[in-house]
Amino acid sequence: MNKSNKEHRLREVKCPTGFNWSNLKAELKAVWEANIKDWKIEFAYPVSFIRQLISPLVFLLPFLLYGLVLVGGTESANLKQLVGTDDVVAFIFTGYIMMGFIGTAVWAMGFSIRRERWFGTLEAIYVTPSSRLGQVLGMALHSTVHQILGTIIQFIVIYLTFGLALKIDGILPALAIFALMMIALYGFGIVISALGLILKEGWVVSDSLYSIMMILSPVAYPLAVLPTVAQQASYLFPTAPALIGMRSFLIENYQPEVAGNVFLHLLGLGAAWILFGIVVFRVTDVYVRKRGMLKKF
Amino acid sequence: MLKSTYQQSLLRSNLFVVWNELVKNIKSLLAYPAILVFWAVFPIFWFIPFILQGQAFVGGPESASFAQITGSGEYVPFIVIGAVLNSYVNTLLYGMGENIRREAYQGTLDYVLAAPCNKAYVLIGKALSESLSSTIFAASQLTISVLLFGMNLTLGVMLPVFFIVILLMLGLYGMSLILAAFSLMYKQSYDLSQTIGYVFYIFAPVRYPVESLPTWAQIFGKLIPLTYALIIVRSFMLLGTDFSAVYFEVIALLIIDIVLLVAGFYLFSWMEEKTKKSGTISHH
Repeated sequence: MNKSNKEHRLREVKCPTGFNWSNLKAELKAVWEANIKDWKIEFAYPVSFIRQLISPLVFLLPFLLYGLVLVGGTESANLKQLVGTDDVVAFIFTGYIMMGFIGTAVWAMGFSIRRERWFGTLEAIYVTPSSRLGQVLGMALHSTVHQILGTIIQFIVIYLTFGLALKIDGILPALAIFALMMIALYGFGIVISALGLILKEGWVVSDSLYSIMMILSPVAYPLAVLPTVAQQASYLFPTAPALIGMRSFLIENYQPEVAGNVFLHLLGLGAAWILFGIVVFRVTDVYVRKRGMLKKF
Repeated sequence: MLKSTYQQSLLRSNLFVVWNELVKNIKSLLAYPAILVFWAVFPIFWFIPFILQGQAFVGGPESASFAQITGSGEYVPFIVIGAVLNSYVNTLLYGMGENIRREAYQGTLDYVLAAPCNKAYVLIGKALSESLSSTIFAASQLTISVLLFGMNLTLGVMLPVFFIVILLMLGLYGMSLILAAFSLMYKQSYDLSQTIGYVFYIFAPVRYPVESLPTWAQIFGKLIPLTYALIIVRSFMLLGTDFSAVYFEVIALLIIDIVLLVAGFYLFSWMEEKTKKSGTISHH
């Protein structure tokens, strides 16, 4: 009797399905644990951790020093003609902080799946009764916090070395724009992580996309210097409207290069990229498992 | 076939090792055409933002402030030369250490190190293959840049430039040998090579003239072979000078090359012995 009861109970166990509070809590816990796991791995390699923490500063400095040498100071008359401000330091700094977060989407999220495959743990993760996307989002959470730490270091060094004039009252709306941009970038990152499932040398695609996005985003120059086609293409990615929006709140006298509501633009892009990302990930996930390609690399 | 190889003269046998190592690496590179195209084309995308930044800040192809420091106000060829020579750092510096690591991942490092030949020739083969691929990538990037940005190149300028590139590669071989030695012993040389890459990127005049850095940073930059290579090549290509104008930089580059190569070979042999004794060659 006891034995049959036990068997009955075992048969009754079902994987959590459907959108309800208890499942959402379980998924959020999985995301959190994936994030904690990445921090643990990161702290196991302290030299790598420190190197990655200062890398945003290392990649910003050449843009800044080159800009200062070009104009022979911190003010550019030509930049003022284009966007209303001549402050080279503030313009480059506000632009470059975004690039690190594009890296978060392209590298950290894109390679979350690939990395598990290298470690030999992807199959084990795949058989757990949780969403595959939880792993990707956990990695994104870890990487976003990591990038925020790097940006704080970047800010302190640039503020102390070059002086940085930003509008304090613009910080809150700029953060709201940043949050909207990150949602769209997460969608983009999910697409890249799906590519990591299917492509043997996915880093080539990721790096190529990163390079193209870098050119299409007005990081160190206003959109006006890009050809018209490139300007139009840049509106498909969240970085261009986010950068223009953030600069208009943070930099004195900055005149946005484009008209329109940045918040609505980013909301639309966020919804589109997240939806597109989830669909691509689902399709790739099913395709890879049907073909038995999960373990191949 | 093996027997006949052993019967050949020592020099021929060693050349055989170098040649086959070279062929193996090139075959491995050709097996991934996407990577080949990526390195030949995409590094251009990394410096295009600097050219666009120049247009936005200056509003034309020349900067008076730039001319005061470098002698030439044309920032576009300045950036292109910096990026193309820096691509040698990207491929050679990381390439050699990673090449050794790759052998360990593929499970072939034990066999390579147990082969009855001088390991220096295996390394020379690896270095030559990295140099060949780096030069193909650099030539491709330079050609695309000439077409895109209308730079003027003549054979008379390119020959001395090629000589300087060889000197730069020798210095980078020395550094990559040191990294390969660390890779044998400590397995994770990636962080070290990345950190050295950062140092090169900041302290060498890749994107801006070295004079724009603080004095202490300029002194540090003068210890890097890439700094001298960039100063010499830019003098040839942008200012139209000859060797007599940059003889000090050429001698400095030669001295750095010799120091790095000697240190590299010594360290690699020492680490190889140590790893063989500790039995950790195949660990990764």
